[in-house]
Amino acid sequence: MKKGLFWILLLIICMSLPVAAMAADSPGVTKDEVTIGMTCPMSGPAALWSAMALGNSAWAKHINDQGGIHGRKIKFVAKDDGYNPSRALANLTEMKNDVLAFGCVIGSATANASKDFLLTSKVPVVHVHANPRIWLTTPVAQRRHIFIAYPDYVDEAEAVTNYAVTKLSVKTIALFGQNDDWGKGAEEGIQKAIKKLAGKGKFAGFITFEPTDRAVGGHALKLKELNADAVVIYGPPTQAALIIKEMSKIGYKPKIFTANPLGDPLMYKIAGPLWEGAYPAASGNVSMPGVEPQADKVVDILLKYEPTLKGREFLGVTGATTMMLIAEGLKKAGPNLTRESFVKAMESIKDFKCEGMGAPITFSASQHHGLNAIRVCEAKDGKHVPISGYMIFKPLF
Amino acid sequence: MNLVESYKDDLKLIEKPWTGCWITMTVIALLLLPWFGNEHLIYMGTLIFIVSVGIMGQNILIGYTGQISLGQAGFLAIGAFSFGHMAQMGLPIGLALLGAGCMAAFFGVLVGFPSLRLKGPYLAIVTLGFGIAVYQTFASFEVLSGGRMGLVIPKFPALFGLTREASMYYFSLFLGIAFTLATYNLISSYMGRAFVAIRDNDIAAEVLGVNLTRYKLLSFAISSFYTGIHGAMFAMFMGFIDPQMFNFSESLIIFVAVVIGGLASVEGAIFGAAFVILVPQVFSGYKEFVPVIFGVTVIFIMIFEPLGLAGRWFKMRLYYRNWPFR
Repeated sequence: MKKGLFWILLLIICMSLPVAAMAADSPGVTKDEVTIGMTCPMSGPAALWSAMALGNSAWAKHINDQGGIHGRKIKFVAKDDGYNPSRALANLTEMKNDVLAFGCVIGSATANASKDFLLTSKVPVVHVHANPRIWLTTPVAQRRHIFIAYPDYVDEAEAVTNYAVTKLSVKTIALFGQNDDWGKGAEEGIQKAIKKLAGKGKFAGFITFEPTDRAVGGHALKLKELNADAVVIYGPPTQAALIIKEMSKIGYKPKIFTANPLGDPLMYKIAGPLWEGAYPAASGNVSMPGVEPQADKVVDILLKYEPTLKGREFLGVTGATTMMLIAEGLKKAGPNLTRESFVKAMESIKDFKCEGMGAPITFSASQHHGLNAIRVCEAKDGKHVPISGYMIFKPLF
Repeated sequence: MNLVESYKDDLKLIEKPWTGCWITMTVIALLLLPWFGNEHLIYMGTLIFIVSVGIMGQNILIGYTGQISLGQAGFLAIGAFSFGHMAQMGLPIGLALLGAGCMAAFFGVLVGFPSLRLKGPYLAIVTLGFGIAVYQTFASFEVLSGGRMGLVIPKFPALFGLTREASMYYFSLFLGIAFTLATYNLISSYMGRAFVAIRDNDIAAEVLGVNLTRYKLLSFAISSFYTGIHGAMFAMFMGFIDPQMFNFSESLIIFVAVVIGGLASVEGAIFGAAFVILVPQVFSGYKEFVPVIFGVTVIFIMIFEPLGLAGRWFKMRLYYRNWPFR
């Protein structure tokens, strides 16, 4: 019986903790510590992305070992949401009064469900890894504490198509895309590029799939019927690997182009040797591990603090860029750190490269989409080698 | 727990003055929570009230009528998307909620027909198939669900000078209490006794004059209505829904909540809802181990409390009834 009472008391204490934390004047900031929160799928269907939390965490530890920023160590708190939007929102509301900023939020469903909270909570948010267009319809004043450096799907697909036609002599392009705003954004981008190319290239068609689809043999046959020189893939690694294997089985081997989430060389493990020669896009804010020394330097540091990132280096580096941006904001904010001073500091970031990686990121009072850029890479000998320069597009907001 | 001397005694919702006292204190505490609790507590409270409604519904079907169902996510999705479309059409919230519940109840009746011929694992498989079919239908037909892009749904408005979150909290609390009272009333009625009779022995129930077709279908309809309301409230609470939110794992979580809370127990449904919401949240800092902790907790509760959390609650009440004498 006493055990029963103990558990009830424990539950009451656990639920009272956030109330106690509310008392702080500047949330998440003490004399010697600043707290950054993150909600991330670490279990469930998108658990692979947990590597981004590890990258974030490892970079925070690296900064702390160098003495922190303005005498403050970074305390990084990551919570699992299992890629469940209601759990993600619960994590964010729980951390709201305990953190200086969120860095970052991952996934379109999560971002869509959390959007209203993120806009009204006034907690600074650095990086939302989801379609940046979801912010376009929101009031400008409400999104002044949201900072994003994620490429737009429409611009990305347009640039990839343009590159395929003009640089790699592709004549016809087909799209294999997820049946959502990701795939549809790609279709819009490809159509825009084809229109601008005025007859140099042709769009053969759009074959859609559902995230739960695993049997994609029929999709491969449809793609073969379209007989395009190249297939652009806008979907997760699983379906990308499956469609490439199915197309190969029926003797159809077009050039493969993909969206930036497939820019991780981990694709070799999933798709096998068939991945060789593919042209994945890569987000403009990172460099490629194993190819570019800036990225290798970062990887060495990340592996020192989080050895479990081995084999998932690219995602780790991508995650670490969030902490690099936050660190830059903290440096610029100075010792008198508040959410407002942090937002102003973030808005003053100009031409910043995360440890020399990627294209320059610039935020300002009127620009909170700090970088909208990609590069086209080629899968070569187990690595993703950039073959284009940074293609930088106009920021969306 | 108590000696019941008349049918009137049996129908009593509150048996002892002390029970009335703690129930009143709990309701007052819940009413005051938005004034003293932070945004997170309000969020968690709202979610627990919403989920409780669905769990109560499934408890009527699984706990009281003994019909194993694994298609709850399907009814949730039907309720959520029906509400979404009706709200977008400008229907008042109350009417849209009722419509969502009725739509789910209609499909509940359709799914209930196989229950007339099937039992146990066979019925579970049929309902499982229903849940998956609904998910695929919503995912494939953009006109129904907004496709994979989902639907943006108007949130509950701010009322009486309260914040939107507090208004939603009170609305969910009101519905939670209303459905709790309705469920107590239902299980004390002839209908509830018929459900229990079907669960205990359907042939004997039929011999005693219970119309199996009517009451099995009614059980499916009522439980689906509750789940539809749960889905609609969830949609309004989140402001955004997509088909992926109603996949098979949602059905499993609801099933776990029913069993962990305690089969055939109204308060067990509330405990079950609190369990499936609070455990992942309290342990969310344990990152990738959250599902493991959740699973281990379920195993422990089932080993040490086979009657679920309602069983533990019953034992605690029994203890305090005689306190300090044992």
